[in-house]
Amino acid sequence: MKKWIPTTMAVVLLAGVMAACSNSKSAEQPTSSAAASTKPAEKTKFSISLRTLAFGHVEKSPDINQDKWVKKLEELTNSDMNIVLVPHKEYEQKMIQMFATNDIPDVVQANGGVNGKELAGSVKAGVFMPLDDLLKKYGQNLLKKVPKEAWDKVTYQGKIFAIPEYLSNPSRRAIFVRKDLLDKTGLGVPKTVDEYMNVLRKFKEMGVENPYMGRENFKYADSFFGAYDVFPYLSMFEKQGDQVLPKFYDTENMMKALQTYKTMFDEGLINKEFATINATVFKNTILAGKAGMWSMNANEMLQWETQLKTTVPTGDIEIIPAPTGPDGKGGHYLYGAAPRAYFINKNVKNAAQIVQFFDWMMSPEAEKFFTFGIAGDTYTETNGKIDYKAPTDTAGVDEERYRQSFLWLVQDTTYNKGTLGLTEEGKKLMNIFDTTLKNEGRDGIEFEPRLDSLAKNPDISPISDQAPPVLLSHMVKMVYGKEPISDWPKVLEEWKSKGGNDVIKEANDKFNSKDSGTTVIMPRK
Amino acid sequence: MNQRAQVSKGKAMLRTFWKYKALYLISLPGIIYFIVFKYVPLLGSVIAFQDYNIFDGFTGSKWVGFDNFTRMFAHYDFLNILKNTVLIGVYDLLLGFPAPIILALLLNELRLVVYKRVLQTVVYMPHFLSWVIVSGIAIGILSPSTGAVNHFITWLGFEPIYFLGEESWIRSVLITSGIWRDSGYGTIIYLAALAGINPDLYEASEVDGANRWRQTISITLPSLLPTIMILFLLHIGKFLDFGFERVFVFLNPLNKENGEILDTYIYSQGLLAQQFSYTTAIGLFKAVVGVIFIVTGNLLSKKTTGESLY
Repeated sequence: MKKWIPTTMAVVLLAGVMAACSNSKSAEQPTSSAAASTKPAEKTKFSISLRTLAFGHVEKSPDINQDKWVKKLEELTNSDMNIVLVPHKEYEQKMIQMFATNDIPDVVQANGGVNGKELAGSVKAGVFMPLDDLLKKYGQNLLKKVPKEAWDKVTYQGKIFAIPEYLSNPSRRAIFVRKDLLDKTGLGVPKTVDEYMNVLRKFKEMGVENPYMGRENFKYADSFFGAYDVFPYLSMFEKQGDQVLPKFYDTENMMKALQTYKTMFDEGLINKEFATINATVFKNTILAGKAGMWSMNANEMLQWETQLKTTVPTGDIEIIPAPTGPDGKGGHYLYGAAPRAYFINKNVKNAAQIVQFFDWMMSPEAEKFFTFGIAGDTYTETNGKIDYKAPTDTAGVDEERYRQSFLWLVQDTTYNKGTLGLTEEGKKLMNIFDTTLKNEGRDGIEFEPRLDSLAKNPDISPISDQAPPVLLSHMVKMVYGKEPISDWPKVLEEWKSKGGNDVIKEANDKFNSKDSGTTVIMPRK
Repeated sequence: MNQRAQVSKGKAMLRTFWKYKALYLISLPGIIYFIVFKYVPLLGSVIAFQDYNIFDGFTGSKWVGFDNFTRMFAHYDFLNILKNTVLIGVYDLLLGFPAPIILALLLNELRLVVYKRVLQTVVYMPHFLSWVIVSGIAIGILSPSTGAVNHFITWLGFEPIYFLGEESWIRSVLITSGIWRDSGYGTIIYLAALAGINPDLYEASEVDGANRWRQTISITLPSLLPTIMILFLLHIGKFLDFGFERVFVFLNPLNKENGEILDTYIYSQGLLAQQFSYTTAIGLFKAVVGVIFIVTGNLLSKKTTGESLY
């Protein structure tokens, strides 16, 4: 009697499944064909993958390709971009998936030169095209403006494989202090580690909850390792005698640095629970006015200050020189010379146009567009004088930051001169970059690509700003007083036995032989 | 068997097939789903025996036999990680598995329906929080300076404990947070089974003078046993599969020694360091152990209680 019911149900189910499968495709097609039909031939059409970098405006955008600024950029450059966003958090995994499934866009944005993990060895595998000839013909501006260190980062076996964004001042992290609190101590701006400790003790006396703001894994809480020049990071090899060794081999200074943190821990100058303080708690604690001093990226200063003032109206944040160690120097680790780089797929037909597109990024027109936006919309111009009102609401700030930093694919990312130059605080910040920060920072010998022995064994391998897990456990335990600091030589033995011996052997071989497959990058400071 | 019988048997099969064609049609998407998403990817496990390179693929990568497995067993930390995995698995089995049963039995004893419903909803809730949030809450309430737990401990006159900074506490934290998050949700199946018990049995036992405790021991538990047995078998199949996320969010350099398990090790080595072949080998090892457990468990259970998965 009711036999038709299951049959119809089955048909409906199947149809539903099929519709669901085909839907996604049919939704994409009309947009791309419509875009193509308006102005075919001349437009530079390409797809490009971009990491979202946790930018609010990007991650909240329903479709970045329909974004006003992308549209305008396409109009200015006569191009038709198809941006494929790669989520910030799962960046490496998603990129590897992309290579594994061979679903590679025309232009791939990568993070750290040709050997970044996210590239999964694709440059070596010949996925991208060498750009030397194209750059000579179509990328003159790029060749002129981008510094050599940045080109070095994207050179593999003597050939340039990508167009790098660059950082003319790689010293980006800085010590921030609550100036209002520092003034109250009456101690003046501290310089050496001892002076710093005195300020921190005074902060403690004054009731500041976190005189120095700690964070798990010493991330953004590593200023004192910098003072003693013992960063246990990837770019931190150095010559000790006739051997190339990681900086943490400097037992004497490493133990002094650890002792500094232990003293801070024992006296309550750093949060007793810093081993479990994550990025969010870190930021919230500072913005709630509960920290006296901390380390962070200098370019975020104005934003944080605005936010701090909402809770602590008298709060005044300032950047001061980082603590100096026995050699009179200090600072944080230096960033790579090329924060982002763009690789062109070897199957792309219009590579020349794409290079021109990137070359345009260096033009005065581009600078004006990315800095101030669209005339008549975000700024007005009378007699060559630009009247630009920086946004104040969160969404507006997000959008500005997105335009100036995210969408301006190739630029000097140290800071945005155009907008910072408009305000007093901005000028001050630029000045800090050009004076304080320029003079500090620690660097070491780095190998490109990463040493095989490190790549194979993550336990003993540091990352750009974090110690290898094997060392980190001991470092944290020593600060917490669970292991004696004098055991550091034993930790080194452990590191060696777990694969470190191979690392040292490989580092010295590569340093001395100078084979073409490896670039040895010497310290910049 | 003669040919004719075979033919007619085949025919009969076709006829049944035709008769229930709608049912077979409905099952088709499910079957296709399992083949495409569950069985085809299984073939990917071959990379455990290769030196896999994503640009060469399965076909182009070099075969290395059992090298990756040898490397795994030879790793200086392997025994420790395996020990952690097994220990956490055992604790979870001993403490985490019975928790929903006990909770369901307790809920079942509540006579006021409204109260029971409210309580049920409350205990389900944590299941819908992600591990990241659970860890955030745990870190908050366990904090030695601001956490409620330590306030209580100091109020009792003891020293505060840095639960997440002590190797000795990490396993307890992992198991307890798991129980807190999931035991309420786990009661669903048991409550359903409890609802299916014939009320006559209770009435009869009451006539015989059995009190609540006696009833629970002699009626409720035996009636629940088949459900418990099936869920137990499913649980031991996932014995080494404690779950990556719930451990990862609690780990830090201070407690890693006792907290690192195979899953978190696979994450750091495989996804972060791109050792695909190596970690596939570890994953395969885990899966094989799981299969062995489930098969033996099933066999034992069939022999002893008559309950089995298949």
